[in-house]
Amino acid sequence: MTAPRNGSHRTLAELSVPSEPGNERRAMEAVADTVEGLGLPGRTLERLKTAVAEATMNAMEHGNRYREEALVLIEVSATDAEISVRITDEGAGPAAFDPETPDLEAKLDGAQTPRGWGLFLIKSMVDEMNVTGDERHHTVELILHLNGRKEASDGRKAL
Amino acid sequence: MPQAQVTMDVRRVNDNASVIDVKGELTAFAEGVLMDAYNQASDGRVRAIVLNFEGLEYMNSSGIGLLVTLLIRVNREKQRLLTYGLSEHYRSIFQITRLDDAIGIHDTEDEAIEAAKA
Repeated sequence: MTAPRNGSHRTLAELSVPSEPGNERRAMEAVADTVEGLGLPGRTLERLKTAVAEATMNAMEHGNRYREEALVLIEVSATDAEISVRITDEGAGPAAFDPETPDLEAKLDGAQTPRGWGLFLIKSMVDEMNVTGDERHHTVELILHLNGRKEASDGRKAL
Repeated sequence: MPQAQVTMDVRRVNDNASVIDVKGELTAFAEGVLMDAYNQASDGRVRAIVLNFEGLEYMNSSGIGLLVTLLIRVNREKQRLLTYGLSEHYRSIFQITRLDDAIGIHDTEDEAIEAAKA
């Protein structure tokens, strides 16, 4: 369970996309349209879009196994302090992410597969990522803090 | 398998370097297009491959994986991989993934071609 946070959540949109390759871009653009009025800096918006696309792609591929009839549900909500995007698929058990932290040198040496950047990318793009699941669903929640958000000059999140 | 939403045109700019103009999406579906372009760009004595990302609309984690696969091939052939035209957002992703340690990032084609001579 996600811990309750201060401030009441306003639901901004509830969306769904069929599990077809490429639909992560539809999800990404729909979320971007939804939060357009919240005044996010362009850089932060790009980060949110990338995180939404990666989480949606993971949901379609691993959760719904690209069954077109299986939907990925996307709920966008906000408080004064944060934006939350909850992405839910129809998979069972733990959400499938490659647990290995990607290491470029290891990949170039053949010690790791060239792929496996999705989870790392999501975690790098948002302030929090929470994964929950039961026997019928996985939900990945992406959270961006709206206040006091700082980014290092090289584009990484400030710790 | 959906079609790749990308085109990659290859230009031989001198004896040393070829440019691949990437237009569209760099995702898993671009693998065949990218590897075909690389094979065409590598023809002859080319020592540097320059990726022009001015027309890049979207890149996801699978696209990053493709770049790693390309890097492995480039390193094996003792070539160098350079880029120009990356947006600020994708530059930050190159930094986060440390791809910028292995791929030379430049602002313009002229800078990238000049760097390829070094």
